[in-house]
Amino acid sequence: MSNGKLLIINGPGLSDLSDHNEVANDDLSLSVIEQKCIETSGEFGLEVDFRQNDDESELLRVLVYDNSNFDAFIINPAGLSKSSFIDYDAFSAAINKITNQGKPVIEVRIENIFIQGSSKPLRGNDSGVGLVSGLGKYGYVLAINSINKKLSNN
Amino acid sequence: MNIYVINGPNINLLGTREPEIYGKETLEGISKECQEKASKVGHSVKFMQSNYEGEIVEWIQDAIINKVDAIVINAAAYTHTSIAIHDALKSYSGYKVELHISNPHLRESFRHVSFISSAVDSVVAGLGPDGYIQVIDLLSELPIKVN
Repeated sequence: MSNGKLLIINGPGLSDLSDHNEVANDDLSLSVIEQKCIETSGEFGLEVDFRQNDDESELLRVLVYDNSNFDAFIINPAGLSKSSFIDYDAFSAAINKITNQGKPVIEVRIENIFIQGSSKPLRGNDSGVGLVSGLGKYGYVLAINSINKKLSNN
Repeated sequence: MNIYVINGPNINLLGTREPEIYGKETLEGISKECQEKASKVGHSVKFMQSNYEGEIVEWIQDAIINKVDAIVINAAAYTHTSIAIHDALKSYSGYKVELHISNPHLRESFRHVSFISSAVDSVVAGLGPDGYIQVIDLLSELPIKVN
């Protein structure tokens, strides 16, 4: 069932972005990102549910139980993928289940995590998750553009 | 904005090479779409592919000499082996995007290490051939320095 709904979930620590160096060094906050996401999605007629949660098990619950309510997913796992309290395999399995339904899932990272070196990207089997790293708030824009194209081709 | 799109080994086989991973679209098709998108948003794109590491290094050096504004590089298998391409990219001060059609981090462990990622500004992977188009489109929105 297609409903044009996009879930954007931001993981632990992303409520405060004051120490992030934005691409253009302009002030970055989660509400700036949210606004950009709503604008971009609105151009395509997509509805956005934008969330941030420091509770890792809540993120897993959303992916496992709420996934049928959405057509596409953008995940910024932030601290989650570095050292997680929850079972990382459970997190990957939940994502695989979503991609197996043919729904787009894109991991978005604000900074280029490969320069920073402190976080690792999501790993797993060949589940078709996209990765956008280092584009600041524009990474979310690129991910939404890509999702829109995928959804309109389905 | 002047952009080099540089493609590495085996990408000339797109469309026939493991289409379940890389899709059915050919490199010519992607190149054409990139050119169309570029002319729409006012970019000039030079689209290249080589199976030779040294040639890719020389193209990056060309980009330095010609003051190209941005490089989009899909170094393919050289991503995981080439310190020479890493060094060349380090010497280039324009905007750099590492691009992959599939997401290497979800594939064999020998693809989990990239010598390119730490030498570029951003990484886009796993969005299929559309990734090229999305990056070229977004470059016009990014607040980057243009020569």
